[in-house]
Amino acid sequence: MAISLRDLSVDYSLQQGTAHALRGVSLDIKKGEMLGLVGESGSGKSTVAFALMGLLANNARVTLGTATIDGKNFDLTKRNATAALRGRGMAMIFQDPMLSLNPVFTIGTQLGEVLRRRAPGSDRKTRVAMAEDALAKVKLSNPARRMNQYPHELSGGMRQRVVIAMALLSEPALLIADEPTTALDVTVEAQIMREIIGLRDRVGCAVLLITHSLGLVTEYCDAISVLYAGEKLESGTVKAVQRQPGHPYTRMLFDCEVPIDRERHADASQNSFTVISGDLPDPRRRPPGCIFNGRCDVSFAECAVVNPGDYPVGDDAGHSARCLRLATP
Amino acid sequence: MTDAIAISNAQLRFGETAALDGVSLTIPQGTCFGIVGESGSGKTTLMRAVLGLQKLDQGEIRILGKPLVHGRAALRERASFIQPIFQDPAASLSPRSRIRTLMNEVGTVLREPHAATHERLAVILGRLSLPPGVIDKYPHEISGGQARRVAIARALLMKPSILIADEPTAGLDVSVQGDLLNLLQDIRRSQNITLVVISHNLAIMRLIAENAVVMRAGNVIEGGEVGSLFGSPQEVYTRDLLAAWPSIRAVNTKG
Repeated sequence: MAISLRDLSVDYSLQQGTAHALRGVSLDIKKGEMLGLVGESGSGKSTVAFALMGLLANNARVTLGTATIDGKNFDLTKRNATAALRGRGMAMIFQDPMLSLNPVFTIGTQLGEVLRRRAPGSDRKTRVAMAEDALAKVKLSNPARRMNQYPHELSGGMRQRVVIAMALLSEPALLIADEPTTALDVTVEAQIMREIIGLRDRVGCAVLLITHSLGLVTEYCDAISVLYAGEKLESGTVKAVQRQPGHPYTRMLFDCEVPIDRERHADASQNSFTVISGDLPDPRRRPPGCIFNGRCDVSFAECAVVNPGDYPVGDDAGHSARCLRLATP
Repeated sequence: MTDAIAISNAQLRFGETAALDGVSLTIPQGTCFGIVGESGSGKTTLMRAVLGLQKLDQGEIRILGKPLVHGRAALRERASFIQPIFQDPAASLSPRSRIRTLMNEVGTVLREPHAATHERLAVILGRLSLPPGVIDKYPHEISGGQARRVAIARALLMKPSILIADEPTAGLDVSVQGDLLNLLQDIRRSQNITLVVISHNLAIMRLIAENAVVMRAGNVIEGGEVGSLFGSPQEVYTRDLLAAWPSIRAVNTKG
């Protein structure tokens, strides 16, 4: 097991009180596998990434949580707990590549910086060669020319490739990709996902893909974890979860996806879309019972009182969900 | 019936690049028309030209039968029947004024008492699942998804007969996206509005639009009734776009 995260809990102190962004979230990613972490906005999925990277905002506090990365243990409640891993053991791809690239330095300079940390003592020529090689590996056209270009001279897809090349150079044990393709076209999205998979296979790292697109998860991931209002509701292999969603929320999320071959009403104005009615609960005051109770379509009286444990779903090992209907009496 | 929008041979160059390279299309009233294509294909430039925000080098645009005229007075007059929803919601929200101020401006333009505007606004906000308190906030105090819905609420408040939406669902959660699309569908049925949707979400386009065109490098390369366009695409590029769509593949229930 390459990466494991245990009981991560994060609070944000706000003017109106303390918001509990994450409550006891645990994740496991095997070496060489990709885990899709899905959830709506406000579910806390980016907070997981920021807590791991040590990039949380000043008003955030990790109240509980440990991580095991590449055989080493980290107490995430300590500030900068994973600082030693940044640029060496862990890499992150953001939704907006401009967040990772400095506008005033050339691509070559920025890739060189990664290598100075990764391979200290190497001479400049070697670093340039390694950087160009990485750019070629992520299929960026004309690598030698790109080295002398600035980020603004590249398109969104090309910038994202540069960031992937950067991650490739740091040879991470864990790669976190936070909505890496949301800002890109579908055709470019497919290419970028292929490059991320290429990186994973080349380096053999674990990948945490944070997304709200179930399409991406079912197409590219090995395992899936579903996050809702700061709590993990279900996890398992993509195949098992897709075949038999254990939690009503997971099932509803899958129902909301619009397949490209969905049956179409001849009068286009009659086509309607599935929604999950209701809103996320207030992150400052967790309602008792199941966190999804207010929006669930199959809840019963006990759901408002008992906070469900993590029950196994079906006979697939590692597939579990937090729903009382799965509890065997 | 006159077409809502008729474009003939629209041409526009930015330096070396032809942003629009002879685009012609007609959008019938009361229908939903889709414009598909990747970034840089000229979709947004076309939208800006139709709104009168971008002059063409050549070609003609007619809106509800009348040729598009540039100038402040014409732009203001057009605002009462054609409304945009921009891709970047920040483009339609002033960072320096509360959302309430923005909505009040709609009332001023429509010469409608504020009370009446806010009555209609309350209904629209409810449909977009925005809390009523949102109007007292500044744009930086709300989330990206909320900002997008506020921009949509503002456009709808103008009671336009033509609504042009540039990537209305990009970056929204599936559930909120469904809500928004159902709302747009509702408005189409009840108010006979013409809807122009620019998107690269082909799955959604297939379901809401009657007709669509596929754009590439400033050209319309393929177009027609959505069922046949996406059912049996003639151009390689359209097929590539469809193939690139990440789909939830059917799982074998036995395996």
